[in-house]
Amino acid sequence: MSKVRSYAWLAWRAAVSHPLRGLRQRGTGRERFLQNYAAEGLAPTTEEDRADTEAASACISCGLCESGCALRGAIPSIRDMGVHGAFRLYSKSAEMLARSGGALASCASCTGCEPLCPTGVPIARLVRAFAARSGGSDAARRDPAGPGR
Amino acid sequence: MEASASQGTFDVVVLGGGVNGAGVARDCAMRGLSVLLLEKQDLASGASGASSGMIHGGIRYMTSDRRVTELASRDAGYIRRIAPHLTFRIPFLLPFATRREEATLLDRLTWYATEVYVGTYDLFQPLKGGKPSARLTAEELYAVEPSLRPGLHGAVTLDEWGIDGQRLCLLNALSAEAHGAEVRTWTEATGVLREPGKVVGVRWRDSLNGEHGEARAGVVVNATGGWSPRWGKSIGVQVPMRPGKGVHLSLDRRHGEYGIICTAVDGRQMFLMPHETESIIGTTDDDYYGDPDDLDATAEEVEYLVEGVASLVPSVRDSRITRAWWGVRTTIFEYGVEEDDLSRDHRILDHAAEGSAGLLSFVGGKLASYRAQSEEVTDRAVAMLGRAVLPCRTHEEPLPGGEEVPEPSELAGRHGIAEAIAARLVYRHGSLAREVLRIADDDPRMKLVVCRDEGIIAAEVAWIARNEKVRRLQDLRRRCRLAVAGCGGLDCARPAAQIVARELGWDADQLRAELADLLEVGWRERRPVLDGWQLAEEELLRAVHRGLGDL
Amino acid sequence: MAPSSRIECDVLVIGGGMAGATAALAAREAGARVILARKAPGSTGLYGGAISVAQDPASMPDTPFAARSGVVESARRIAATRPGHPYRVLRDRLDRLWNALEFATGQLSSVLAPPSGRNRWLLTPFGRAHAAAACARTMAPGDLAEVRGTLVVCGFAGHLGWDPGLVASGAERVRALGAPEVRAVLLDLFRWEEGALARPFDLARMLEAPGAAEEAGRMLRRVLPRGAAAAVFPPVLGLDPESCVPERIAAEAGVPVAEMLSDLPSVPGLRLHRAIEARLAAAGVEVLQGEVRAASGPDVPAAVGGREVAARSWVLASGRFVGGGIERRGTLVESVLGLPVLASEGQFADPSVRFAGRPPASITLRDSRSPQPLLAAGLRVDGELHPLDAEGRTIHERVFAAGAVVGGHDPATDGTGMGVAIFTGWIAGRAAAGRAP
Repeated sequence: MSKVRSYAWLAWRAAVSHPLRGLRQRGTGRERFLQNYAAEGLAPTTEEDRADTEAASACISCGLCESGCALRGAIPSIRDMGVHGAFRLYSKSAEMLARSGGALASCASCTGCEPLCPTGVPIARLVRAFAARSGGSDAARRDPAGPGR
Repeated sequence: MEASASQGTFDVVVLGGGVNGAGVARDCAMRGLSVLLLEKQDLASGASGASSGMIHGGIRYMTSDRRVTELASRDAGYIRRIAPHLTFRIPFLLPFATRREEATLLDRLTWYATEVYVGTYDLFQPLKGGKPSARLTAEELYAVEPSLRPGLHGAVTLDEWGIDGQRLCLLNALSAEAHGAEVRTWTEATGVLREPGKVVGVRWRDSLNGEHGEARAGVVVNATGGWSPRWGKSIGVQVPMRPGKGVHLSLDRRHGEYGIICTAVDGRQMFLMPHETESIIGTTDDDYYGDPDDLDATAEEVEYLVEGVASLVPSVRDSRITRAWWGVRTTIFEYGVEEDDLSRDHRILDHAAEGSAGLLSFVGGKLASYRAQSEEVTDRAVAMLGRAVLPCRTHEEPLPGGEEVPEPSELAGRHGIAEAIAARLVYRHGSLAREVLRIADDDPRMKLVVCRDEGIIAAEVAWIARNEKVRRLQDLRRRCRLAVAGCGGLDCARPAAQIVARELGWDADQLRAELADLLEVGWRERRPVLDGWQLAEEELLRAVHRGLGDL
Repeated sequence: MAPSSRIECDVLVIGGGMAGATAALAAREAGARVILARKAPGSTGLYGGAISVAQDPASMPDTPFAARSGVVESARRIAATRPGHPYRVLRDRLDRLWNALEFATGQLSSVLAPPSGRNRWLLTPFGRAHAAAACARTMAPGDLAEVRGTLVVCGFAGHLGWDPGLVASGAERVRALGAPEVRAVLLDLFRWEEGALARPFDLARMLEAPGAAEEAGRMLRRVLPRGAAAAVFPPVLGLDPESCVPERIAAEAGVPVAEMLSDLPSVPGLRLHRAIEARLAAAGVEVLQGEVRAASGPDVPAAVGGREVAARSWVLASGRFVGGGIERRGTLVESVLGLPVLASEGQFADPSVRFAGRPPASITLRDSRSPQPLLAAGLRVDGELHPLDAEGRTIHERVFAAGAVVGGHDPATDGTGMGVAIFTGWIAGRAAAGRAP
């Protein structure tokens, strides 16, 4: 009996309530979807973003890049995590990226790290891309070509 | 550990430290009963530790009884309330696909029906703080999720909560303890104490230190999950169940911020969804009559899952899959029904008719409704004991750490740690993150970053070892995901083991044995999916742990 | 004006690890013009300080150090008992293994101590003694088989990275085999916040600062027990060998000072990588940064690093999974020339067994301590180190394979990784240069 009632109710919703609701709604489906979740940082992932994170997946946590990082000794947030924190914690999710703060933006693009990576993670490019996405305040001013180029 | 109160008399003895066992222990303890919880391994070692990790509102019950959906959504709201730090929102996309070139009328009707169905679920979302659904056209869908394969006709979106099921179990157990319960992990119930027609207690044995004893109880609750039929048989009762094996895969990072619901090759619904710091693919459901202590993911299961997701997200085949994990559901027994069609309902079995009065078995159910299920079991136990107790408040009282959610940037600034690490600390510990950081304040060495994948500092490892029922190093996999991600413990396992050894007083031999055990558990999970970069990681891991460490 | 983009040489070595470097230097010494192409430092930057060549398979866990076979004899026994192992393939030449070891350690004498014929026993951070035929210079004084007196194992009071008690237990475990008595001490180093949270490379740099090593030495002298014969430190004693950090500590403390072996990140690994760079440059080997993929062999010039390299012979020393020479993307492939992956160990050592397309669960074993066929997968080679096809035919007369790209050994379980790299690298390099074996 209860199943019959449930289906009848759903049929009512299909025929009447749902279309009426549709008439009352404002904005496109996409607008409403994005608005639901924008405040929590749950935003779409563009194809470029995804290509970056796929490239970061090549990190095997060996730490060799740390030895080549010119800033390492000076900046605590890089120093404590190790520069490959950029491919591990910071790039796992949009939330972590947003919280990476100055760590990524302080990269000077010296590219001392990149030749040392055994699996060919494009470190300099990724750190710049992640820094820009993290909204680090320095990132906007940074010349994408890096100093001395 | 000296012979303790666990040699005594309790109102309730609960067997099984999964979410139902821990939930029952909490409820009983909060109502004023004396409780002993026995778990033969670590908390959440069974299905509770291998679930999809979702607190959902029971959308599928709208076709049979929408009051069930209402209750489920309300309960999801309760869990949000008592553990606000532990739940996170997962928006889902349910794309409309057809195998043919053009969409037929039947396809369109089906899609409309889906849109109506999910739109109806919106009525229940306010009960759990969820957002309403939206209908996306094809163009809008691709704008929102570009990695989907071409040829889709739009989607409907919906909203559910995700949760770390293992920490949920732990927090319930700790809450039970705070209300006077005794919780013993790595302790097995080796038999029952009997009087004519009754079960009056259990015999137990601690598998780590050999201690053993007896505990008498008015009610014994069997919440041993996938182990129920075996355990029941060993003491002469029937626990009819169709154990259902479920396998998941993990990607090394979040594929995106939205879950995607796909259809597998056999028509089953599956998903790719972001969950904490990774994305997970799930799940299978197959009758399993083997040993729940001895499971592996098969190549077929792995390929089934990848194929199912690849049908909508082709690039998943290039993603780095780090591990496979599995558990056995305690599905209610029904003969002649396909696994997927079996009820996800729960049942409480009273074994009085089998000459074991005083023994209740819990079968079925799901993680999302653990609190309501536990309340039901506790009501039964209270009725059997015939005592006056306090009312149930498990829906109101926050779980440990759930009182308030600190702002990570504030903690980061005040205690001098990276903000991302503060955020992970807050996720795992809520308000107790402040207590964890007090350890770091007292000893600056404890700010050493131990895990670069999960954001774990030494202070947190020490806190967990002191306060979160840790007896073995592998328990940390469930407390803070140590060595669980693709890194396999490459740079975190040894430092963490050293810290835990200091806290628990292990000598070098025990430290090495525990480290070897932790690494072995990880290997079992990584082995079925070794490929690509994860295989390179494995080569490095073995060079360090096997080659250098001989573990 | 860009240099001419086509280069001609005698030998193209593909791969920048120990095997590739040894091959390049051996070919150079034989008078060839050598180009080394690499996309990355390879796994040498990840080595912990031990050059493991062979452990005596016939010795029992309780066989004393002094009673165990020498390195070459151990390699012979491995060749006799392990089908598929590269030592077996090269069994007729195992008498030259010693020459290869002397060559490699001689070329890299700035960071490697010479081999002694017998395995050295070195402490690891995991509380175990590891056997190595040769090792980093900084580790040799910590050889458990040679220390006469008490060995002091040091940790840093201000840094949680190493547990000297755990490390010392590795020596206690082999006391009956001839290891010395050990004592664990904590030195009051790195107490300030900057040091407490520092990564190994930073600690190494800090110890290079003027006065730092001397202070460490003074602290050590204060806590040295009577009868102390040597001290072992965490592997962060300076980055540049010329800064002489261990020697400076030893001078103040009055006992020889050694490093323990390293896990990751590895400071000794970086030192080795830099020493290889320097030696290749000094020897006149041109190094090209770039990847070689989908190539056909020496008959067609290879495009690498923006240049075209026409070489008479090739040495494929591209490594296994970390090095990228062997990949598994659904199936096992060799990434430079597309050669078939046919060799592994155990049941898969049989050349008729095809495993490259099997799922991971069928080419691994449940017990992680066992040798794993998937992790031992690589190219099948003949006694001249020419890769072979599925029918056992030589693929090309002037292509040689060396190092981890050669299948048949799981380095993590059999302790022969560096030995295979050096031995096959030396043979392949000389053969590629036309020098008789």
